[in-house]
Amino acid sequence: MMIFKKAILAASLLAVATGMAHAEDKKTVAYIAPSLDIDYWQWVARGVQQKAEELGMEYVEYTSENSPAKQMDNARVAVTRGVDAIVIGPVSSTSTPPFLNYLEKEGIPVAFTGIGPQPGLTNYTSAVTANNYETGIAQGKFTCELAKERGGNKVGMLSLPQDRENAQKYLKGAEEAFADNGCELVQMLETKGLTINEAVTQANDLLTANPDVKAIYGMYDQAGTGAAKALETRGMTGQVAVTVADGSPTTIQLMKDGAIQGIFFQEAVGQGIDATEQVYKSLNGEETTQDMALLMPLVTADKIDSDEAKAVIARVFPQD
Amino acid sequence: MNSTSNTLDTNGTTDTRAKPPSVLSTYRTELAIAGAIIVIMLGVGAFVPAALSLGNFANIAQAAAPLVIMALGILLVIITGGIDLSVGSVFSLTGMVAASAMANGVDGFTASLIGLGVGVVFGAINGALVTLAGLAPFVVTLITYAVAGSLAFIVTNGRSVGVAAPNYWLFNSGSLVPGIANYVLFCIIFLICLEFVLRKVTFGRWFYAVGSSSTAAHLLGVPVKRTRFAAYVFSSTMASFAGLLTLSYILNAESTSGASLMLQAIAAVVIGGASLFGGTGSAVGAVLGALMITVIQNGVNLIGINSFWQGSVTGLAILVAVLIDRFSQK
Amino acid sequence: MTSLSSSTTLAERQSNPQRPLVTLRGIQKSFGPTHVLKGVNFTVRPGQIHALLGGNGAGKSTMIRVITGEIRANAGDLHLQASHGGDPKVAVVYQELALIPDLTVAENIALVHAPSGFALKRQAQAALIAEEALSLIDPHLARTALFRKAGDLSMHEGQIVEIARALSTGAEVLLLDEPTANLTAAETEQLFAVLKGLAKDKGIGIVFVSHRMKEIRQLCDVCTIIRDGKTAIDARPIGMLTDAAIIQEMGQPAHRAEAQIARNDGQPVVATLTGPTIQHPIQRGTILGLAGAPEGPAHVISSLIGHGRHRDWCMTGDGWGNAPTSPRDAVAQGIGFVSGDRATKGVLAQLPIIDNVLASRRVRERRLFVGQNERSECAGLMQALKVKAGSAWDRPGTLSGGNQQKLLVARWLGLPLKMVVFEEPTRGVDIGTKRDMYALIRQMAEEGTIVVWWSTENVELLELCHEILAFDTEGQPKGFLPADRFDEDALAELTGMAA
Repeated sequence: MMIFKKAILAASLLAVATGMAHAEDKKTVAYIAPSLDIDYWQWVARGVQQKAEELGMEYVEYTSENSPAKQMDNARVAVTRGVDAIVIGPVSSTSTPPFLNYLEKEGIPVAFTGIGPQPGLTNYTSAVTANNYETGIAQGKFTCELAKERGGNKVGMLSLPQDRENAQKYLKGAEEAFADNGCELVQMLETKGLTINEAVTQANDLLTANPDVKAIYGMYDQAGTGAAKALETRGMTGQVAVTVADGSPTTIQLMKDGAIQGIFFQEAVGQGIDATEQVYKSLNGEETTQDMALLMPLVTADKIDSDEAKAVIARVFPQD
Repeated sequence: MNSTSNTLDTNGTTDTRAKPPSVLSTYRTELAIAGAIIVIMLGVGAFVPAALSLGNFANIAQAAAPLVIMALGILLVIITGGIDLSVGSVFSLTGMVAASAMANGVDGFTASLIGLGVGVVFGAINGALVTLAGLAPFVVTLITYAVAGSLAFIVTNGRSVGVAAPNYWLFNSGSLVPGIANYVLFCIIFLICLEFVLRKVTFGRWFYAVGSSSTAAHLLGVPVKRTRFAAYVFSSTMASFAGLLTLSYILNAESTSGASLMLQAIAAVVIGGASLFGGTGSAVGAVLGALMITVIQNGVNLIGINSFWQGSVTGLAILVAVLIDRFSQK
Repeated sequence: MTSLSSSTTLAERQSNPQRPLVTLRGIQKSFGPTHVLKGVNFTVRPGQIHALLGGNGAGKSTMIRVITGEIRANAGDLHLQASHGGDPKVAVVYQELALIPDLTVAENIALVHAPSGFALKRQAQAALIAEEALSLIDPHLARTALFRKAGDLSMHEGQIVEIARALSTGAEVLLLDEPTANLTAAETEQLFAVLKGLAKDKGIGIVFVSHRMKEIRQLCDVCTIIRDGKTAIDARPIGMLTDAAIIQEMGQPAHRAEAQIARNDGQPVVATLTGPTIQHPIQRGTILGLAGAPEGPAHVISSLIGHGRHRDWCMTGDGWGNAPTSPRDAVAQGIGFVSGDRATKGVLAQLPIIDNVLASRRVRERRLFVGQNERSECAGLMQALKVKAGSAWDRPGTLSGGNQQKLLVARWLGLPLKMVVFEEPTRGVDIGTKRDMYALIRQMAEEGTIVVWWSTENVELLELCHEILAFDTEGQPKGFLPADRFDEDALAELTGMAA
């Protein structure tokens, strides 16, 4: 009985929704996030939403809850609902082939953000991602320099889980940069829970095991916060340098306080904006760029209040 | 030991020692765990001498504090033969609520009270559904685990929140008693109070009675429902307190911060000698269990073993602890 | 009652004894310190329906487990001999059904024939096997019930299916453990017809465990009585035993001489026991026995201690408050409870002895803290009860069943109580402990406490009680029997059971 009622309700809502979409004849863009428990994917959402509004498009949002199956369901639901274009942060690269095959058949343009499609695929409109390898080189070089400024060459790293492709690329770049600049990576700890609390504990353990570390490379935002917190507790703020990738209000504030020396910003909002622009172009038959690997811009403490930095930050997280 | 030919004519005398067992035999499981912890720490110290430094002890204590407090809470539920899967979510939600309150200008103390309210409310919901509606604790707390977990995202739409209240960190790291950091002080106070209640207060003994056989306890006149209800409220409230302690340390609340803590807290209680079937367990054991888990994590990090191995090592520790407990029971 | 009613085919069978299927000689078995079987003899012959009687704890179920091979005897001979050589299959049908409720009747029967679970998929084949098995004993059921879920069957139908299943595997010995306990009179008739047919036509050896005298006479050829782990009567034709003789052999001989009839004539009436159809004054210090099939006494106990749903009985009178709403309320009103179901209703197995003993006092006296004086209190009680334990901090599991039972009594000993309710307190305890329990019950009564005592052993009720309230097999109260009219036969007649 209950299920029956729900079915009727769902059906009528769907009818109303599609009816409205047709009535106004506005194009709709759907954003499919892998999960919404990470700030990053919400910021991408804001970028998509912002750009869609600007372009006069309707915006809808789905969550895949880190499940490739749910991601596929979301694509089907979106198609049933009549969306015209999709911006997706995929659950993983490997989950993308069936997803893309289905949407290609339906003739819907797809743009990736954050994580790209499986290498070798071409049936998508655009992939707007961070260039993790190049960023790894840049952040590795910067971190190494900071260590040397502090009279050492040993660095530690708080890493994303190394089963992730982006983490492997970051690490490859960083290791090359360390080697080229004469630094030694003495310890790398991988996160499991991606929480600040875990990062604090790991930073503490890293510093206990390696008292001669002069700089910490934080591969994700919480790592930066955790390392800064651990150093603060030890009264060593500034004595060991901290660099971090991603960037958030928290880490920006820590940088202003001198607890973090540099942030390599992952332009979450910017990726959402760029991806939406690409699918919009595709809908209008304009030329699109298939691979946009954005280098993550570095902002240091002394430049945080510059206009240049403000422009970067505007493409990182929503300014409200 | 005793014979059944215990008839009126053959058995005139009895041998019932009125002396309670020595501390050594009462806490033999706990002593074994304490020994294991020392062995692990010495083992890690052999690789990394800094592991045995005072600074590292402080690291361990700070990292263990929230887990210790959560383990003490969930211990009570496990003694009654129940389970509380919602503690991790309550931990996260408490942090989000308190931090959001502070971000909106509420002072630290009031925000903390509001945060504790989260625990009390969820504990009361768990307790009511288990005792009044008669639902299985696993199911009930699975529901509240999901609900509190999703509310933790809803509070701020999933965004992490920084703490605005100045000096809020004093709550964790300050020292009400000179020389002892608050996070250690709270653990000690909770430990002593709970151990006293469980051993020396009639109501404390009821938790064991209910866990041992709720029917037998009920027939004896033990207030079974009230006892169960209290266990769930206590568990949830302690999870809230742990959430606040972490918040006041990190000064940042995240929606997922407690996610991994629920299983760790259950593991701590089990390592500490409690049975998931109820009726056994001690506060000292739960604290030692939490310390053991933390020491293992610390050791894995210090030695530089890939942290993905932590789960396996912790699993092994649980197995060893359970086996010790099994075979120390004659 | 003394008529020599006997089965029609008895003479024929006795004159033509076949080789026994099962022979037990001098079987002994102990569990830890408890000697359950102390030399039991028992024989099952083909085509014979054999009544097995014995009080609770006499060793019947242990003996059955020895026969089925579930446990091994410590000493003695167990000889099994099938009619075609080899070991005969022994099947036991317990009171509780062993069918899988979510499978159909056909599947339940075919299950034991299937080499693996996959074969079950072949419904048609399962149905064939099941129909063949069932039609041998109940053609009607075979036609109608094959595809019904076992969980939807009545108790009687379920038993028939179990019996059919057992026989279909080639079982030659069928052990039935109180099969009629949950059956209606009509169903019992049907079952008996089936059993008689099996014995007569197929030469199956049937062992029938029951307390119901009438049924035993109706069905069985011979009777074996086990008492205190030994065979008291070995395969005597049922017609040669009077009811009184059976009762005599089952119980301990009645110790009470005529002069020792329990009396409490001088005591004032302090309460009234009111039931659905009955009302009765209760004197101070009365030992009131409850006898008969479990349903009736269970309702009384449930009502008196406020546990469970039944509330159709109550004690009223000066100083008696409202009927207790919960056991906690009952304890607050001064009503104690001791169950013989120690594992689920009595002992707190994970708690030390001291907690077990003092829990009731902590509830009754609203103690806030675990006091220092509790140690000597516990020691004193255990001394009074002659319970020998290593330490008061040991778990109750280290004690024998009898001593655990005494712990449960210790909870209420010496407390000023209005009433103590006993539920089969001597279940599964040795004779020594039983004697101690009787002494404790008397002691409590002498202190003025009303004792309500349910036992399935009529003999002990007759020995101790001032009055007995008898229930029939339908759970209806049949009236109060005062001490001066105590008589095993009278009680057996009122309750329809020999125990």
